[in-house]
This record gives sequence, C-alpha cells and structure tokens, in this order.
Amino acid sequence: VASLCFRQRLVLSTLSRKREKILNIRSKDDNPGLRDFEASFVRLLDKVTNGTRIEINQTGTVLFYQPGLLYGGSVEHECNVQRSIGYYLEALLMLAPFGKTLLRAVLKGVTNDPTDPSVDLLKVTAIPLMKKFGIDGAGLEIKVLKRGMTPAGGGEVLFTCPVRRSMKPVQLTEPGKIKRIRGTAISLQMANRIVDSARSILNKFIPDIYIYTDHMKGASSGKSAGFGLTLVAETVNGTFLGAEVMSTPQGQGDPVLPEDFGRNCAKLLLEEVYRVSITKHTFVSGVDRYVIEFLRHIRDFFQIMFKIEQQKPGEDEQKGGEKVLMTCVGAGYSNISKTIK
Amino acid sequence: MEKKEQKRHQHKHSGPKAQKKNRKKEQGTEQEQDERKRNPRAFSVQSAVRMAKTFHRAQDIKTKKHHIPLVDRTPLEPPPVVVVVMGPPKVGKSTLIRCLIKNYTRQKLSDICGPVTIVSGKKRRLTLIECNNDINSMIDLAKVADLVLMLIDASFGFEMETFEFLNICQVHGFPRVMGVLTHLDTFKNNKTLSKTKKRLKHRFWTEVYQGAKLFYLSGMVYGEYQTQEVKNLGRFISVMKFRPLVWRTSHPYVVADRMQDLTDPEAIRLNPKCDRTVSLYGYLRGTFLKNKCQVHIPGVGDFSVSDVSFLPDPCPLPEVIKKRALNVKERLLYAPLAGVGGLVYDKDAVYIDMPSGHASRQQEEVRPTTELVQSLIGTQATLDAKMAASKVSLFTGTAALTPEEVQENEKQNPMESREWDENAQRERRRAVFADEDEKDDDEEEESDEAEEEEEEEEDEDEEGLTTLKKVDEKADETAAPPVKKQKIKEPMEMPAFADSDDELEKSEGEESEEEEEVAEEEEEDSNDEEELGGLFKVSRPERSKKVRADAMDCSRFQPDSSHDWDQEEMLASIRDCFVTGKWEEDKDAATLLKENDELYGDFEDLQTGEVHKAKTGNKDKAEEGNDDEIKGDGGDDDDEEEEAPQVKLDDDEVQKNKRLEKKRRLKERFDAQYDDGDATYFDDLKEEMQKQAELNRQEFEDVDDEVRVQYEGFRPGMYVRVEIPALPCEFVTNFDPHYPIVLGGLGPSEGNVGYLQMRLKKHRWHSRILKTRDPLILSLGWRRFQTIPLYYIEDHNGRHRLLKYTPEHMHCGATIWGPITPQGTGFLAVQTVGGIKANFRIAATGVVLDLDKSVTIVKKLKLIGYPYKIFKNTCFIQGMFNTVLEVAKFEGASIRTVSGIKGQIKKALRTPLGAFRATFEDRLLMSDIVFLRSWYPVLVPQLYNPVTSLLMPVGQKDTWAGMRTLGHLKHDLGIRNKPNQDSLYKPVVRQVRHFNTLHIPKELQKALPFKNKPKQMQAKGKTPRDLQRPAVVREPHEKKVAALLDALSSVYAYKNKKAKAEQHAKHKEFLKQKEKQDAERQKRLKEERKKTYRAMGQKEKKKLKSSLKGASKDN
Repeated sequence: VASLCFRQRLVLSTLSRKREKILNIRSKDDNPGLRDFEASFVRLLDKVTNGTRIEINQTGTVLFYQPGLLYGGSVEHECNVQRSIGYYLEALLMLAPFGKTLLRAVLKGVTNDPTDPSVDLLKVTAIPLMKKFGIDGAGLEIKVLKRGMTPAGGGEVLFTCPVRRSMKPVQLTEPGKIKRIRGTAISLQMANRIVDSARSILNKFIPDIYIYTDHMKGASSGKSAGFGLTLVAETVNGTFLGAEVMSTPQGQGDPVLPEDFGRNCAKLLLEEVYRVSITKHTFVSGVDRYVIEFLRHIRDFFQIMFKIEQQKPGEDEQKGGEKVLMTCVGAGYSNISKTIK
Repeated sequence: MEKKEQKRHQHKHSGPKAQKKNRKKEQGTEQEQDERKRNPRAFSVQSAVRMAKTFHRAQDIKTKKHHIPLVDRTPLEPPPVVVVVMGPPKVGKSTLIRCLIKNYTRQKLSDICGPVTIVSGKKRRLTLIECNNDINSMIDLAKVADLVLMLIDASFGFEMETFEFLNICQVHGFPRVMGVLTHLDTFKNNKTLSKTKKRLKHRFWTEVYQGAKLFYLSGMVYGEYQTQEVKNLGRFISVMKFRPLVWRTSHPYVVADRMQDLTDPEAIRLNPKCDRTVSLYGYLRGTFLKNKCQVHIPGVGDFSVSDVSFLPDPCPLPEVIKKRALNVKERLLYAPLAGVGGLVYDKDAVYIDMPSGHASRQQEEVRPTTELVQSLIGTQATLDAKMAASKVSLFTGTAALTPEEVQENEKQNPMESREWDENAQRERRRAVFADEDEKDDDEEEESDEAEEEEEEEEDEDEEGLTTLKKVDEKADETAAPPVKKQKIKEPMEMPAFADSDDELEKSEGEESEEEEEVAEEEEEDSNDEEELGGLFKVSRPERSKKVRADAMDCSRFQPDSSHDWDQEEMLASIRDCFVTGKWEEDKDAATLLKENDELYGDFEDLQTGEVHKAKTGNKDKAEEGNDDEIKGDGGDDDDEEEEAPQVKLDDDEVQKNKRLEKKRRLKERFDAQYDDGDATYFDDLKEEMQKQAELNRQEFEDVDDEVRVQYEGFRPGMYVRVEIPALPCEFVTNFDPHYPIVLGGLGPSEGNVGYLQMRLKKHRWHSRILKTRDPLILSLGWRRFQTIPLYYIEDHNGRHRLLKYTPEHMHCGATIWGPITPQGTGFLAVQTVGGIKANFRIAATGVVLDLDKSVTIVKKLKLIGYPYKIFKNTCFIQGMFNTVLEVAKFEGASIRTVSGIKGQIKKALRTPLGAFRATFEDRLLMSDIVFLRSWYPVLVPQLYNPVTSLLMPVGQKDTWAGMRTLGHLKHDLGIRNKPNQDSLYKPVVRQVRHFNTLHIPKELQKALPFKNKPKQMQAKGKTPRDLQRPAVVREPHEKKVAALLDALSSVYAYKNKKAKAEQHAKHKEFLKQKEKQDAERQKRLKEERKKTYRAMGQKEKKKLKSSLKGASKDN
C-alpha cells in the first residue's frame, strides 16, 4: 500500500532489516511518484542509518529500500513543509531507541499543522509511553526550539533519545481514572479565550485543569501565524490521553472563533477518553484504519499477531465506548546496533 | 638429700576470698560468651582501610553468587532433555546409550543412529544423541545439548577430543557436563586404580568446576555396564536441573529426529539433482517458533520455512501423574532414524501405533518393532509390488521414504564400528568437493534470479486476482489465516522482500470493496468474529470518507462525528473515567475502608459487637450519600452490597471469592510490610521476572492450540513438522542419520550479512598464532562458516590498527564479514574441519562486540621523501608525492626525519611534480630522510562461506575443505617465498681498520702537565747478559749427595706404601671377623626374643582361655 503505509513499512523494514520494495506509488495519478515530503522522509532515514541503499526509479513510482544499520548520532534535517514535523518524529520515536548511539535530531519545518499530530502532542503522550517501555533517562526529550506554523514553517524541534538494548514488556490493561488535565495553547492574542472555552467544558468533569499559554516571540515564533490548543489528560496509572486542534493556514478554510476552537478541542479530548482503548504495543490508541494497517504490517515483518479481545463495559459503569484489549507475544527484538565494550 | 614435705594448697571454700573467686568464675563464663564486651579494644576498628577491604570482599563474594535473573519461559510440558553422549572413539558411547535405554525402557536397541527419545520418568523425557568425533558434529551438538555425558577412557586418560568439546561448550553456553569413566576393569592394581581416578577427577574439576560429578563405570558384564551403576547414572540424569542459556532461550531450535523427502518423484526422475522439499520432524526447544521464519541448518545453510505444523506427541509423558513408577506402556521409546516407532505419525493421520511388547523380544535381533517396517525391510527389492498389493498401499505417500532410509542405514556401517583412520582421511580429502561447491553456488544464484523475476510477475498477477483470492480465503478457513503475501528469501543471496502493492491507484469503488475485505480479514484473524465484527460495523459508513483522508498517511485519529458532545448524555457516558466519578468496587475508597474495618474488626467483634455493626451502618449511609451525587442506577448496586453481609448464605461463591481476595490483599500488605525491609534491587528484579513469567504463561493458557500457535508461534515442547523447500539434493542423497540435524531459528535480522567486530583470543593450547587474511572457520550462533578475519588492536586514541598476526597471549580485535549475530554471542574458530591436523583444533575463541556496515581498520603507511634544497629551517622535499593534488591533500600534515626533527608540510611546489616546501624545527641535512606517518583504511574481504559438511557424501562428511590458507596453498603448489637478500647469511668479512697516530704539536706538548704529556713508551729491550741469572752446575760430590738422598727417599716411600697395604689388609680381616661375630650375636638375640615372645603369647592365650571359660561358666 504505497503512500498510505509508506512510512510504516519503511520503519518496520528498518527495524527488521528486511528489504522492501514498494511498487506503483501513485502510478496512475496525475502527479505520479513520491511526494516531496516522502522523499524528505527517506532522506531522514538515510541520515539516521549507515549503509542504507535506496533506489528510486525515474518517475518515482518504485522505491527499493535496503535498510542499513540504525546509527543515531547527531542529525539535522530540513523537513518538508508539506507535512509537519510530527510526521517525521513519529517514525523517529520508533527507531531512535534501537540505534548505535544516542540520537540527537534537530528537525526543522512545521511544528504544528491540522493534519498530523503536533510536536506538543507527541511530547506529552509519546514520551511517557516510551518511559513505560523502559526507554528513560536524561536523554529522552522533545524540545520545541522554535515554532513554525503551516505554510511557511520555520520551526525547530530537538529530539534526543538514548539507546536501549531491549524493551521491557508492558501491561497497559487498566487505563485508570483521569486525575488531571493539562494543556498548551499556542497563540499570542487569543490564548485566554481559547483556554476559557476549553475549561468551560472540562470543568464539568474535573477541577484540576491547567492550560499553559505558549507564546514565542520574534524569530522563534516561526514564519507563519496560527494558533492551536493541545490538551492532555493524565490518569492515575500514568497513561496519557491527548487531543489537539490547530488552525488552518491563513486564507484557507473557514475562519473559526477562538471560543469554538477551544470547545472543539475539549470535545476531542472527551472523544478520546470515550474510546480510549488498551493497547500493549503501539502508542496509537484506538482502532482505526491506520492502526489496522499497522498491525498488518507488523505481522508481515515480525510475524506477530495480536490477540484482540473486546471488553464489554459494565452496565452500571459510565466509561464511554467499547474497549479493545490487544495482546501479543513480542518478537524478541533486541537492539543489535548498540556496541558492547 | 631429703625432700621436704610441701603443704598442698588449700582452696578456700568460704569467706570473702572464696566469694570473690566464685563471683569471678560466674562472670567469667558469661563474659566468655560475649568477648566483644569483655575486651572491646580487640574488636574495635583498628584500620578503617582494612575494615573497608574486608567489607568489600564480603560483598564481592555475596554478589558473585548472583546471576542476572531471567524470565522463566520453560513451558509446562518441556521438550525432552537433550543428552549428548560424547567421547573419543572406542570408549563405550554406544554401549552406554544402549544401557541407558535398557535401563529406562527395558528395550534393546543395537544400532544407535539419530536421536533416541525416551520417557525417563513421570515428568521427564530424554533425547539421547551420540556424538561422533567429527568436529562438525561436536560443535552442532554442543549448541543443543542440555546435558553432556563425557566418556573418558580411564585406562588411557584424557584425550584431546574431550578438551576440545569442553572448550566448544564453554563458548556456546555451558550445558551441564557429567564425566563418566569407563574401562576401569583394565586396572589390575587397586592402588593405581584409585590414584588414576583421583588424578582424572581433579583434572576434570579444573576444566568444568570444582566438585563436578564424575561417574565410574567399572567393568562390563556380557558386553554391558553393570546394571546398578547404570541405574545410578540414570537417577542422576533424571533429577538434574538446568539453567537456561541466553542464546537458547532467545532462539527456537529443533533437533530433527526424522526426515522425509516430499519432492515430487517425477521431478526427481527428470532431474535427479533437483532441489528437494523436505520435511523435518522434532521437538521444538528454546523459544517460540513463528511460522514462515528463517532457519539455519548447520552444515547445510539458511532456509526459509514454508510451513510448520504441530503433530501429536509421539512420545508423550504419562497423562495422569500417579505416585507409583511408570508402567511398561508408559515407558516409550521413539527413534525413527533408528527404525523404532518411525512410521507412527504424520501431519494429518496416525498410522500404526507401537506394540508395547518389546521386552520379550530376543536380544541380538534388532528389527524395527512395527510389523510394517519389518515387512518393508524384508522386501526391499519388490517393494513397489508389495505396496501395490498389500493393504498398506494407503501409506504410499509417507512410506516412500522410510524404507529408503532404512536401506541406507543398512548400507552404512554404524559410526562406532568405523575406525578412525588418519591416512585414509587425508587421502580422501581432495579439492574435488570445492569445485562442486562452487557449481552449487552458481546454480543457486541463477535459480534465485529466476525466482526474483517470478515473484515480480506474481505481484502483478495478484492484483488482478484479488477477488478470487478472497474466495479462496473464505473457503479454507480451517487452514492458516491469510497471511499477507510476503516472501522471505535466503538473505545471503536473495533479499528478504516484504512486498507490497498499491491500493491507492484503484478506483474508489474498488477501494470500498477493499475496505470490506480488510474488515473481513480482520474478522478471520481474530477468532471471535461476532464481537469484533460488531465493533467494526458500527463505523463502517464513515469508513470510505475516512479512508480518503487517511490516504495521507497520518496517524491522527479522525473523530467519530456521531457523538455530539454538547449533549448531557454523552458527557455522562464518560463520567466514570475521571477520578471524580465512581470507582470500581475493589478500588473504591469507601469499600476499602470498610474492608479494613472488617479485617481489623475481628477483635472488636468479640468484645463489643454492637459498636462494630453500628459503624458499618454509618459507613453505608455515607456511601449512599456519595451515590446521590452520582445519579442513576449505581445506587441499586450499593443496596445489594449493603444487604450482602446479611444474606451470606445465598451466594457462597461470591463470598468465597471475596474472602480469597481479601486474604490475598492481606498477604500482600503483610509481605510489603515485612519483606521489603531487606529487599534488594536483585530481589525486586527477581520478583518482577517472576510476575512476567506468570503473566506470559497465563495469557494464552485457555486458548485452543490451533489458534494459540498463530498468536505466539509454536511453543517449545511441541512436536513439530517443519517443511523446507529448495534444499540441495545432496542433503537427501547423502543423508547420514549419525550426523545430527539441527534447525536453528534465526531472529528477525540474523539472516543478513554485515561486518562483525569481535574480541578474539588465540586459544592458549593452539600451537600457532593466527595470521591476518588467512581463512578461518567460525562457529557463531547456529552457524559454522568460513570467513577471512582481519585482526586489529585498538590504540589509545580509539584507532583500530591492523595486526599481521594475533598476539600470543592477549586479546585482539577481529573484523569479519559474516552473518549478523547479536552482540555478546560467543564464537570459536578452527582452521580446518577436515581431518585432524593440529594437536588442538580450536584456534581461537571470542565474543561479538559490534555490528556495522562499514569498517574502521587502518594500517600504517609511511611516505618517504628526500630534501633536495635546504634553507635555514625550511627545505624542499621531493619523492614523497607524485602530483600537486596529492600534496594539497596533505597540507599541514606533520612530518619527521629519521633523526627526530619534526616539521610540517607547507605548500606544493610547481616543479618538480610532487615536491613541496616544508618547515622544520631545526636545520636538516641533505642526508636526512623525511617521512610522513599516515593511516590507510583496509578493506575486509567479503567472504562468507557456510560449511556444508552435511552435503558431503556419506563417510566423507568430516572432510569438508573450504578455502585454503596462503601457507597451505604455497605448500601445495610448491611455491617458496624469495627471501630478502639482506636477510641471507653471508660470510662476514671484516676490514682491518687503520688508525692514524695521534699527533700533538710540540708547543702543546710543552704546555701540557706531565700527567697528560704523551709518554714515549718504548718496547722493553732484551735483558743484558750481566743481569741474567746463571744456571746451577753441581760439583761431583754434590751430585753424589743428591743421588743418595733420592735413593733414600724412594726407599722410604716404598716402605711406607707397603706398610699401608698391610694395615689395610689387616683391617679388612678385622671387619670380617666383627661382622661374623655380630651376625652370631644377632642370631642369638633373635632366638632369645623368639623364646620370650612365645612364652608371652602362651601366657596370653592361657589368660584368654581362662577368661572365656569363666564366661561360659557364667552362662
């Protein structure tokens, strides 16, 4: 599945060291071949690995990818502005712990956009999850150095991740109760309005809400204007649920009132809470098409099948939608790049 | 002298003194018990340093005992324990196996070929394998052995094989080793026997560990070891415990005990050398085996498994565990390669069971037990006819091979009878096989290319056939679930493609179809269709929209718009997800409190029951108050809770569970309170592992095996059938059951090749150091392969400098081009696997440190130049480079002269080409030589040549020869190195050196002090005549006197001599006399003594007699 699972397949191929050939990439499209952001992604993979062989045919419809050894190290990458840094960061999050040396990646481009999970969201949800897998220590962090909104970008994100030999098995079977809600509002003028509207909804559930306003000035605020809100709910078991809304770039889409905006975001969080499912292996929560595809790819590359059980909600419990419990036996994957002395 | 009577000391028994003494005595005994109190200074800290040292040492010893805790993954029904019987030829291996089999199963097996699986006890099975002395088998078996019975010929002592095997074991994770001494009956003398035993034991202990078990098998009875000894040995084997080894717990493996060729006979007929499809059977060990994974068969190569299925256990443990011993029916024996119980099971059917009456059969006749096999053996020639005629024709498919096997077995002589013959082997090991290998490789490559093409074609076909495929998938739901099309190839020559085809290009209509397919597939995947289906169906209408959005490869979840979060109901539906919502019963603060009260309320109940009851009532009310806040139906439940204690008898089950739960929680609390005090990090880790192990075991416990296998793979302990396509035909045609076939599962990326950096040390018993770029055969992971290592050493600045030879007694680095293997894996190296050349075959051992795709080894390169023009500190140097560009690259590099003057390259000169200007710290001479030290990267030769010893013809399997070393080649081709002319020995010609006389000017001479003035020393002339001493000339009278004196003295001397001789003779006589007298005296004394002793004896006897008599009288 060419572009839809382009990223997943390349990441899994890199992890499993299996060669990958993707045929017919948009071959019947008006604009065939790889998009710029995909090419940029392939380039990023090349940077964090050693000995990778990439062959792309002239039209860009066929990609042959022979993964090398994950290396890590200091990497600086100019991400394409068509997609936000989250697109690249998601892949790096999966690869970085299995490198040879500590990864220190500086990604430049769009930090927040409406399509991808933003850097802030990944920061508050993915990092705690990685800690659960035993990837912790001083090195692990995502830091927004500069912000950059959609069309022009100009943002800068620092991602560092230590290497680990193997991961701990985790049991995330109990989501736990939400004990607090935190958030970040990105805007200069309208931050307070966004925050207030979001609080108006969430306050019905829990009083412990705090939403920071993040305003960067001058060069560190990026090249385009925009605003957004990221909310994250923390449960007593240390699970994090996130939601976010970003403004569309100027001149596109309908203009939104900041109040609506805040409310939308809060609702999204509730939606997330509603369907929070319990996964053991991926940090993508919820079963949608993307996850299904991902599971299928995992089966392709690692021969791992997930046991999916449905948990019926109790009659008297009011915990939102039906939940899914997924279980698998690990592939026994260990980091074979890391040097031992 | 009269001794004065001294008064004895009188102890005081009363009075103050006595009291004092008594008190002291009492205290003394007490104080002795606690010396620290009595003498505190002796126990005070004398030296903080020493105290720290002793403490440190104590801790060291304590922590040394710790092992890193591992997650216990041993399955509930473990696979049989692999017992490898190893030893030099003619030591009694087969005899021992036979005896053990007889001991456990009461059956006799004369020809041991292949693994023999037996049920040894209520909970244990054994797989006995005999290890021949081929180093290939030794290596393979050391990797799979759980227990090694190491046979040692005590009459001869240790042999090299034993030590080699021990070293192999050490590298690949030490299995349990038990020594067995045989041939002990050859010792006639008891003392030498015990001495030998002791000597061998201590040597064995130094090799294994102090106190390792060593068994003694003394003597044979009718060609077998003594029953009691074998029984004891058997007992030891069946109670032995094993520690999991890292490599084996992380890799699945199968020791094949049955092989079956599944190739189409027609294809074989057309091309007898066609690739074969073979199914191998055996117990799965290690860890979970995933279907379609890659395996390595040591001695053959890497293969991808086309299909794995599990079969009913052919040698199961007794189903019901009883207290008594096993009965005859439960003592099973399974050795298909030896022709016992072979034809029993296949993938889909059970053919013939084994009759249990083995014990009554005759000893010498060893025939396969089943009638079918017997008949097959008996009628080999007319097999086809018989098969056609008889009822057994049902089994043509499976029986086709087994008679062949049996035939083969009969043709070959069993290994143990074949004497190891050095001469014969050397002659047999010719380079012919190397040619064959090359041919094979070529063929493989070709075929691979072809496959690649085919595969691509297939991909395109696939798209057209999606609908058809769908139907198929539905049709065979019982078969394995539709795995997404994917082909894993042999990675060495072929990439492991994970193919994918585009879905985007399809029209939208197709896409929606595809969607459904996805959903359906998903349903098939998970067993409980209805439940999951429900989940997916809900949101299906929105799918098509979503897909279009999702085609952007975005992981963000598109919210379900059906939920309207403005409505109160929706908000209420997630109320409980917050801490402010209602908690589960077992976590609710109120219930917890209540429970606490119940736990600690027992005491209260006894005395003031009413008080307690009132309390609970209050609490419940409080709870109700809480519930009012949370609206809705939660209240009913709480009411029930309130009633529950009153109607206890109604639901005993619930109560029981509750009580159990409470008990568990109490225990947990108790543990937390009392155990955590001294719980260390180690204990915590152990506990965590324990929990994980428990969880792993429970997760899939209740799932059906067929489904379970798909989730977690085939679990160890299962009897599996592994189908492998495209095995070389030699594997089948040259099949020898005496050689072990191991299927080692490979991890996700272990099928690839790359550069490996390893730490290596030449084995201290290997006589020669190893040379860089000489091919070496490595045993690493499952594999045995030949490769070309480069040795290096790490300098202080982290540079890897190439070494020409390995250091003699030191570790060094080695980089090879080989299979990717996890770091920390041990390996060993041998120079050849064919024949025995060296007296100790293991050349080196080491461990993998790092994997990489590039190498960083450099070697030193000295560029030499000569100055041709010298200014003050600057000079022009030529001869180092050839072009200006080369110089430009080295601008600023530091250079040095041989005499040690340092300098720097400044700039290239226009003419002559390659000359440059350089500055130095001092003025150079024209005779100086300037050099530049540089480092030149070295390439590692990309040779990775798996040892294909199993493909060799039968009887020549230990003659595999790969690439020869340079020395070998030169020796074989008769090429001799031209020696350096300068190193040759030539007659030394020394020229006489002339030194001119030292000339000091006269003026200077005058000025010098006398001490330093040159002394005109002249040679000493002849002594003048007048100074010479004159000769003495005697007068005639003097002459006479002298002559007389001479005569007198000679007379005197003669007299003296004579007298001495006389004296000597006299003394001799005297001694003789004395001896005689002495002897006589001795004799006399002896007689006297004899007399006395006799008298004493008689006296004694009399006494005894009388006392006995007295006793008898008493009775």
